[in-house]
Amino acid sequence: MSTSLPAPDSNRIRLRMAAICVGATVVLASCASDAPQDTWKPEGKYAQDIQDLQWWIFGIAGIVGVIVFAVIAFVLAKFKDRGQPIPEQSHGNAFIEYVFTAIPALLLLVIAVPTWAAVFALNDTDNADCVVNVTGQQWWWEYDYPVDADGNICGFAPTGRAAPIITSGQMVIPVDAKVVIRGTSRDVIHSFWVPKLNGKRDMVPGRVHTWNFHANQAGIFAGQCGEFCGLSHANMRMEIVALDDADFQSWLDNQLEPYQSPRQGTRAATGEQTFVSQCSRCHQIDGLTDADGDLVVSSPEQFVWSGAAPNLTNLMTRNTFAGASWDLVTEDRRQRVWEASPDEFGALYLEGVTSETLNEIDLKEWLRDAPAKKPMYTDPENLEATDGKTRGMPFLGLSEDQINDLVAYLIERK
Amino acid sequence: MFTTGSKLLIGSAAAAWIFAAIYGIANDGALGTLGLISAAVALTFLAGLNLFVRDSTVSAMDHDAFEDSASAQATARPSLWPLLVGLGATTITLGLVTNRTFFTLGLIALIAGALEWMVHGWSERASGERAYNSAARNVMIDPLELPVAGAIGAAVVVYAFSRVMLGLPTATVTVIAFGVVAVLVVAVAALVSVKRDLSRSTLTGGLSIVVIALIAGGAVAGLIGERDIPEHVTTADLAEQNECSADETEADHDASQTVAAKSNVAAEVTYEDGELHADVPGFDGDFEALTLARSNPSNVMFRNESKGEARLVIDLHPATDDDGLPLGPERLCTALVEEGGTQLLTILIDRPSFDVEQGFALTVPGSAAKLQVVVP
Repeated sequence: MSTSLPAPDSNRIRLRMAAICVGATVVLASCASDAPQDTWKPEGKYAQDIQDLQWWIFGIAGIVGVIVFAVIAFVLAKFKDRGQPIPEQSHGNAFIEYVFTAIPALLLLVIAVPTWAAVFALNDTDNADCVVNVTGQQWWWEYDYPVDADGNICGFAPTGRAAPIITSGQMVIPVDAKVVIRGTSRDVIHSFWVPKLNGKRDMVPGRVHTWNFHANQAGIFAGQCGEFCGLSHANMRMEIVALDDADFQSWLDNQLEPYQSPRQGTRAATGEQTFVSQCSRCHQIDGLTDADGDLVVSSPEQFVWSGAAPNLTNLMTRNTFAGASWDLVTEDRRQRVWEASPDEFGALYLEGVTSETLNEIDLKEWLRDAPAKKPMYTDPENLEATDGKTRGMPFLGLSEDQINDLVAYLIERK
Repeated sequence: MFTTGSKLLIGSAAAAWIFAAIYGIANDGALGTLGLISAAVALTFLAGLNLFVRDSTVSAMDHDAFEDSASAQATARPSLWPLLVGLGATTITLGLVTNRTFFTLGLIALIAGALEWMVHGWSERASGERAYNSAARNVMIDPLELPVAGAIGAAVVVYAFSRVMLGLPTATVTVIAFGVVAVLVVAVAALVSVKRDLSRSTLTGGLSIVVIALIAGGAVAGLIGERDIPEHVTTADLAEQNECSADETEADHDASQTVAAKSNVAAEVTYEDGELHADVPGFDGDFEALTLARSNPSNVMFRNESKGEARLVIDLHPATDDDGLPLGPERLCTALVEEGGTQLLTILIDRPSFDVEQGFALTVPGSAAKLQVVVP
């Protein structure tokens, strides 16, 4: 090994490279602005409570962190081995140790008290204005709105008949209401997470976990599953849509409207037959009848390992499909809805999906070959572990005509 | 100019940036790009730090320290860990073509051997003194080795004991486990405490004999097999035989009157004064109807607050096949519950309410109590 000192030029080069690396780290680690799942931009009471708690704790932690790193950097620089003698060694200083124990303990006490209070406040589910049952399943979310003892749904009295509403992908809630979700799962542990409205809550099979949501104003809030749940965990998303009271009432009443069959002789009517023959094994559309006039009842428990498939009644009142992974609307429409002001949002959302705003490309790709679009366990050669049942939507082998008929039928489902 | 460690980190950082760029461009900025960029940023930071401290190695100007450093010392100590790693790798390969057990055992051996080998190698470079290095190794790895060895040892003893207990008839097991063995343990412990000059080797030898005898007994009992354990009739059998009535049956004998899992149930259903009420988490007040998700096993806690025994029953009205046979169980019920007792009923309904003419309902046989169950 060479014992000569490194040349001064190479020293300067080395230090310059070190500075560039560290500087690049700081610059490149900066955050994105206007992210749809930004936890630092709360849009509801509970998310605000978390923000009010965390920002000053983050400040304290930041100050402590800066001090610690500054001391480390100072020690590294000042006592770097330049051939000088080893400094005098000691066994420590009791006073310093007491101080460095007391300060962190005090800090933790100061942090613990409001944290404790916030945790209990966030978990208080009494006096809910609206209750929604949420069920997670690989890899989509189901929402059902039960009828309470007073005949109300989510705190609103339906104009017509009162019956439970079942939907998926987007959960619609009233603005400025305490919404309590009762969450569970049909298969593995999932986690319900809409960052701008609250933190995460695990959805555990066999258990019902409650969690609160509150939205300050009308709008749409993105979320995703926060607990790894298998192949398409990254594609298991959800959106919460908050509507003003009048708009929510309209949405509610629309969901309870009786089924309307397509006009005879239209492409949609052919699509209805295709749906009955191809899709209704798993997917339910409430009120749909077969050629004999009997109610068509899906039986997903026979084909799907977790036992259910998304209910497609009023599909086109939603903006997303396939576990909220893809938009049912075009990009322009999506942008318009997402960027709408709270006053305009309700009307835009309630328009639903129209022929002009339908995202035909993604919907048809999905119908053409769903497993190619979203990874799922549907290969018929590899279903032994699940008794021949699929996890997700299988490849149906539909012809282009069938796909077009289905799209014509589904566009009327609102 | 650049130290060895710095070269590695600079190279790794450069590779990470290149891979991130290639992956991001090829996959149109897909999610994995963010992970690769994060790795690149972290490696860049480490490279910068390592450049500054020049690998933290001994200064080439400090001759004494240099000659005393671990790097300048003699060869490595003998070790069996490389053998274990090799054995693990071979067993993994064997497991790939035979069965999963070999693969798992090989993987455990590989990971354990690699970890021990790494620590062994690190300790040899800790200083120039072998005794110090050996102590450093023990300090590093004993917190992991000792608990794991203890756990494995305890597991072997417990498993052997369980095979012996399961192999013997019940009465003999009770006499042996809670009589003879307990007395022997107390007697030996008393002897050891009284005879303070008992040598370590005697004690170790005696305990070793006991452990070996236990393991041998466990192996023999395991080969012989378990004794016949009679099957008990359960409420699932009751339901199958359509016996979920108000009458007591064999399944109700000695049935537990309390439930361990008390929280996060779908509903608490209370039977009182001839009526059923549901307390549903999230809702305030009592409910006269219960909403359960379709095809989802839902736990309902049944609490009997009435005088006398009662059981909770639900008819499932399963779909039928072409021959008219039900495709699932027709009903579920709890065991008979005494006053003040609780039972758990796990309900799975795979049809929506609108498909069943009479709907679903929880009932108590022998009373008019009824609680509607709605399945959307």
